[in-house]
Parts: sequence; structure tokens; C-alpha cells
Amino acid sequence: MARDVLIDLRHITKVFPPDTVALSDVSVSFESGEIHALVGENGAGKSTLMKVLYGLERRDAGDIFFRGAKVEFRTPREAISAGIGMVHQEMLLIPEYTVWQNIVLGAEPVRAFGAIDVHRAREAVRQKIEEFQFNLEPDTLVGDISVAARQKVEILKLLYRNVSVLVLDEPTAVLTPQEIPQLFSELERLRDKGHTIIFISHRLDEVLTLSDRVTVMRRGKVVGTSAASDLTKEDLARQMVGREVLFTSQRQPQEPGEMVFRAQGLNCSDTEHRARLHDATIDVRAGEIVGVAGVEGNGQFELVNAIMGLAPMTSGALEVNGKDITRADILARRALISFVSQDRGKMGASINASILEDAVMTHHILDPGFSTWRGLGLNYRRAVVFTEQIRTQFSVSMSGVRDPFRSLSGGNQQKVILGRELLLETPFVLMDQPTRGLDVGSIEYVHQLLLDLRSKNRAVLLISADLDELFTVADRIVVMCQGDIVADLATDTTSREEVGYYMLGGKEAEHAETGS
Amino acid sequence: MRKQVLSGLLGVLAAFVIGALVLLFQGFNPVTTYGALLQYSLFSASGFAATVTRAVPLILTGLSASIAFASGPVNLGQPGQLIMGALGVALVGLFVRLPPVFLIPLCILASLLGGALWSGLAALLKRAFAMDEFIVTLMLNFIADYFALWVITYPLFDPSALSPMTRRISTAAWLPDLGGVNTSVLFMVFAAVVCWLIMSRGRSGYEWRMTGQNSLFARIGGCKVDANYVRVMLVTGALAGLAGGLMVMGGPHRFVKGLGANYAWDGIMIAVVAGSGVSGTFLYGLLFSALQQGAIGMELVTAVPSEFIDVLQAVIVLVVVAGRVSLNMVFDWLATRQKLKESAE
Repeated sequence: MARDVLIDLRHITKVFPPDTVALSDVSVSFESGEIHALVGENGAGKSTLMKVLYGLERRDAGDIFFRGAKVEFRTPREAISAGIGMVHQEMLLIPEYTVWQNIVLGAEPVRAFGAIDVHRAREAVRQKIEEFQFNLEPDTLVGDISVAARQKVEILKLLYRNVSVLVLDEPTAVLTPQEIPQLFSELERLRDKGHTIIFISHRLDEVLTLSDRVTVMRRGKVVGTSAASDLTKEDLARQMVGREVLFTSQRQPQEPGEMVFRAQGLNCSDTEHRARLHDATIDVRAGEIVGVAGVEGNGQFELVNAIMGLAPMTSGALEVNGKDITRADILARRALISFVSQDRGKMGASINASILEDAVMTHHILDPGFSTWRGLGLNYRRAVVFTEQIRTQFSVSMSGVRDPFRSLSGGNQQKVILGRELLLETPFVLMDQPTRGLDVGSIEYVHQLLLDLRSKNRAVLLISADLDELFTVADRIVVMCQGDIVADLATDTTSREEVGYYMLGGKEAEHAETGS
Repeated sequence: MRKQVLSGLLGVLAAFVIGALVLLFQGFNPVTTYGALLQYSLFSASGFAATVTRAVPLILTGLSASIAFASGPVNLGQPGQLIMGALGVALVGLFVRLPPVFLIPLCILASLLGGALWSGLAALLKRAFAMDEFIVTLMLNFIADYFALWVITYPLFDPSALSPMTRRISTAAWLPDLGGVNTSVLFMVFAAVVCWLIMSRGRSGYEWRMTGQNSLFARIGGCKVDANYVRVMLVTGALAGLAGGLMVMGGPHRFVKGLGANYAWDGIMIAVVAGSGVSGTFLYGLLFSALQQGAIGMELVTAVPSEFIDVLQAVIVLVVVAGRVSLNMVFDWLATRQKLKESAE
């Protein structure tokens, strides 16, 4: 069916100095009343393009037309009042407020003297919930509802402001497999009511199920726009990556060896003495990759902190290679544990330091070859050699070892961190979402690295929010839900649905199925 | 690094141009004014000697602030630490009788300990009660100031003097002049070299800098960040204390009221302009010292009041600090233009 062009982006170019061309002469048009998927690897420019449209990023060249007229949104507020709303990956809601309070926040109906008209606000929200059949209770606290429900609140927040175009940035990334169909049926309902939906994703199956048309982006350029019905998953993957992609795991069967890592009955509380981790017990053997699945915020953070000694445990025991490290300080743990954190800029490196300075951390203490003058000095010449070793061994592309770390791309930053940690040659490796924010090529690289570690008989504990990743590399998957380890499953005999079922703690999963 | 030198040079140059405009606006001749400034600070033997001697407290307190800021702790207690260092030297110099070879090192040690005691107190309060060193060191400045005033007004008061001051310290503790330049300069240069070695070649300096940039990263990397915090506070306190000690030993040879003047605050300002780098602090310390020294000559030769130098210093601080950021923006803008042109081809 023929639709009108609603949004027309013409020749958009965006440069992130010094030399990243995030968008290069991008032209896309979105038609009214369609679900239009924008797909591409991380770093392909999909989010940047939408941020340019939404007034969050300035473009360096190009024009934007909305309903036939040239527009210029300088802030998201201007975009929203024109009728374009965006739901970001990180949700910005106030947990202490109720659903309706969050929705009206910033656009409250007021009575005389600026007092909020509570009755009218609540009623308006209730009407919107009914209109779009969103299965939400206006008076519950946002802090008490699931991530999927919070996402609905974010969408309603925009619908309450009467937007006709919804941009969703990877909306399924935070959902479990069971929650996704419900979101999709809601989005389809919105489309049928005349809304236009732009849907950013890199998950091919979803894109093909949901969207009417698909635009593929690669390295800041548009590869093409086609009707979803004309495409297969393989077509899309080829367009996204620029070459054929294997969807099968390279994991060879291998017998695990000796017990390397053992966490027994770990208990942790937060600052308000609420238990955040109960009786977590995990074993990892040599040559084994154990995956930890779970919706974010279900105790993974506390588990990492407990293993690394960053926060005190209330009880429990930790052991690596038979050595008790329950009470060991961080340095003693680092001699046994390589650690790749999920947040490169916060824990993994100092982004303002040079690559060399970030590369020698921990080695500078554990390896006596790095000290001069009886431990007072740091051997910078040796540090240069070492950084060059990381560069060649982990194929990092950089111009010089003394360049600032932040000048590297995300994938190369992660390679430097992986190189530093893996060259510690420890028996146990802890990886907390090591592929987060990386492009497909880098993700493949990290997965290969993990499998190499496995064949070198290292023990790996891999925490990941991405089920595909766990099914690609892990031998066993343990599932965390609300601080408990609720399942320990062999990858070869389980399914994504079973893992998803445990991630939601069983109960809510049934609810999600009946709700859709 | 090269960018930093460029932005520093451009900034100082721009500040002098702005200063010249101010002078013109006020009806003074900028050429003769700047001429006198340079004549009395750098291009005469006595002026140069005075500039270098004046640089001692400026550079030492500047290094103290630089190392602290680069490593994390916001130590703003240089004025108090300087006073406590000076007081340490006064005590040793007044009551210990030893030949110079022993007394001078002992005095230096006393100045280091005096400053470290004062910053150590702030570190202790941080560790025990999680009190922020930012506010504690500021408050300790007042305590040191009035404590020193009490000491020189009552217990150590020189009865022959008209205003609060101690008697002269033992001549064995005096630092002699060599060709007009006071030998305290040698101690300052030595301290600056040690600071540079620690920060740029030492393992501690590496850990301190990493902690200052991202303490969680350093902690996970196995650095003992709590112990390092205490060490940084003690070292930076000792540096400020050394500044005070050398001022007593090289200058009036006694603790007089108002000894510290504004040196330590200027030192903090220098650390900010230098972006907390050791070599930058050294160079800006010399520049600010030359300006302050030249101001005296400028007032002699021209009718420009010496307060003009305060204005010029402030302009340098603002232009250099703002310039660092805006110069990066210019580089970014140029890079964007270049890329746009490339992609158009």
C-alpha cells in the first residue's frame, strides 16, 4: 500500500572529531503509519542518526523534512512538541513516583496558581492506558514494576504528549524472550492506530517479524531500504556486516578438568542491609566457560564485587586453585583472577591516560620486570615493549602507544583491556559483559578469544545479558533472579525459552505469556 | 604535550596583548611598561636573582598543589602547611646549637615534617571520619595562621621588636647567597627534580596519577589507593612546608608576621594554570615570579601601579585555562572540516 513520506532525512553527515565519520551522506525517508526498522552493527550510526533527528546531536551537513516542511529541532523538547518522541535504552524514570506521576512529569495539567490537577492527570493517564490497552496500573510505584513495564511507561509518557512518531532505540535489549511478543503486539496496535514507529535493532529475527520496511546501515552509510517481506535473515546479515556470517557456534566438545573456581554460599547486602545476593554457589572447572544469565540488576553486580573484593560479603567462601581468597585483598586476588569489567571507562581503564598507562596496570606490580631502582621506578621502556606486544597479539589498531586511550574505538579499547588481563596468565578469568557496545566483528573476535581460553584450560566465568552470546560460547548457564541462582543448565540440553523462563523467576513468565 | 606547550604559549601571548590594551586604554605606553617589567625581572643581574629567589615558595607550593590535584586529593592547605614548615625551622633554628652541616639538614627536615604534620592531620580526619580534605585543609589554614601568630606574639616573641616576630635563628642555619642568588634555590630545584622523577618515572607517581584520573580503575588494578592517598597528602604537605622553611632560612632568618603572604595561594593558581603538570608548574612558577618581581621595577620607572600585575596574572590564568579547552574545539572543528571535504570528494 502506498503511504505518504512523513520524515525525510537528506544527505545527513555527522563527524565526531578528530576523525570519526559517524554518518556520511545518509538519506532515508520514513512513511507515515509504518514500522520501519533501522538495523546495523554497533557503531553503524543508527542511534546517531536518530539523535540528529531528535535534536540530541548536531549534524554537520544535510537537511531534515517533517511533513514536507524543513525542520530544525535543537532540543528533544522541540521534537516532542512537533510530534516525534524517542525511547532510549536507559530508562529515565523516578522509581519513587507512581506510574501516572512519571507519565505526566514535566507536562502536568494544572489548576489555578500552578497546583497540579491530580484528578485530571490520573484520569488522562488511565484513558491513555485503556486506549492503547497497555496493561498497567497507574498507581503502582515505578520502582516496583518490571523492566518491560517501565518501558511501557516510557512509551506512554510520549503518547501522553501526543506524539505521532515513536523512535525506539533497541527496545528489546533489556527484555527477556517472553516479554518481546507483548511489546511487538503493542507496537503493531500503535501502528494500526496511525502511529509511525522507527525501531532500532541489531537482532535480525525481530526485525523481520515486526517491521514493514528495513533500512540497513553500515559504517555510517545506508546500504539500502527494502520491504521486510523481501528479505531473509542471511540477506540482512550480509548487508549489515558486508560478508557472510556464520550463525552456528564453533564450540567443540571438551571435557572440563580440575575445579579452579569455587564460590560457596555468597551473601551480600546493599547499604540499606537488603540482601542482594543469597547463597550464591558457582563452580568453574579448567577448560570450562560458565555463563551467568539474568536480567540486569538481579545480583550480577554484587556477584562481581564479591569475587573481586570490591564490597564486603556477609558470608560465603571463595577459592581459586585451592587457595582461599575469601578475605584476600584485591592485589592478591589479581594474581589469580583476570577481570574484564562491563564498563570500560569506569572500571576497565582511565580514558584520559595513555594507552601504555592503561596497558601496564596490575602488571606494574605483579611483574617484577616492570620495576627499576629496586621497585621505586616504573620501567617505561619495558612498558612500551609490552604495549606493542598487546598491539600485535590482539591486533589493536592504534597509531602510537602514547596516544590517549580515548582516541581508540570501542572495539580497540576492549582489545587493549583484554590483552592486559589475559596476559596476566591467571588460572581464572572473570568477564562481565565483555562484548557490550562492540560491533559484530569485535564480538566475533571476543567469542573466539573466549573459546581459545577454554582450549587452553583456563576457567572462565562469563556474565552476559545477551542470551545469544551465552549460547554461543558457554558450556553451562547459571541463571540469576533477584539475587538467587535459580538454575544451572547445560547449554546443549536447554533452550533460550527455558533460560528466559528462569530469568523471570518462573511466575512472571506465565503472566507475560497470558498477557500477550 | 606539544598541544599543551602551544596552548600555553598562545595563552600567555594573548594575555600580554590584552594587558597592553588595558594599558593603552588607561593612557600608558605598553612598550615602556613591559620593557621595565622585563628589565627589573630578567634582564638585570639583581632583578634575575630576585626573580629566582622569589620563585622558590611559588614553585614549591605550586608543586604541592599540582601533585595533589593530579593524584586525587584536593589539598588546598598549602598556606597552612607553609606556615607550619616555617615554624618548624624557627623552633629548630632557635633552640638547637649545631654546626651548619648538621643544622641545615635538620632544619630542612623540620620544615618537611611541619608541613607533613599539618596535611597528615587532614588525611587522618579523612580516614577516620571521612571528612573531606577539601574543607579540612582550608580550615586548618586559619588554625595554622592564628597558632603561628600566638607563638610569635607570646612564647617566642622577640622583646626588642615592635611587631610580632621571633628572635633570629642560629646563623648556622642561614642559607647563604651565591652571587646574589640565595642557595634556597638549589633546594627548590632539587625538590622539583625529585617531584618530576616520582611523577614521570616512578611507580608511585604512576599509581597516583591513575588514581587521580580514575580511582576505581586503580583500585581494581591492585593499587593500594587508601595508602596512596595518605602518602600523597604527606608528600604535598612536606613540599609546602619546605617552601616555608626555605623562606625563613634564606630570607629574614626569623618567623615574622605575614611571612607566608600570598605565595601559597599563588602556588595553587600556578598549579591550575599548569594543568597539574610538574614541568609546567616549574615554568609558570618562574613566569609569575618574574611578573611579581618586575612589578616593583615597573612602578619605579612608569606610573603604572603594581596592581596591574595582579590583573595580568588573572588574565593569564583565565586565558590559558580557557584556551586549553577552546584550542581543542578549534582542532576538532578543523578535523570536522577536513573530513567533510574528504567525504565530499
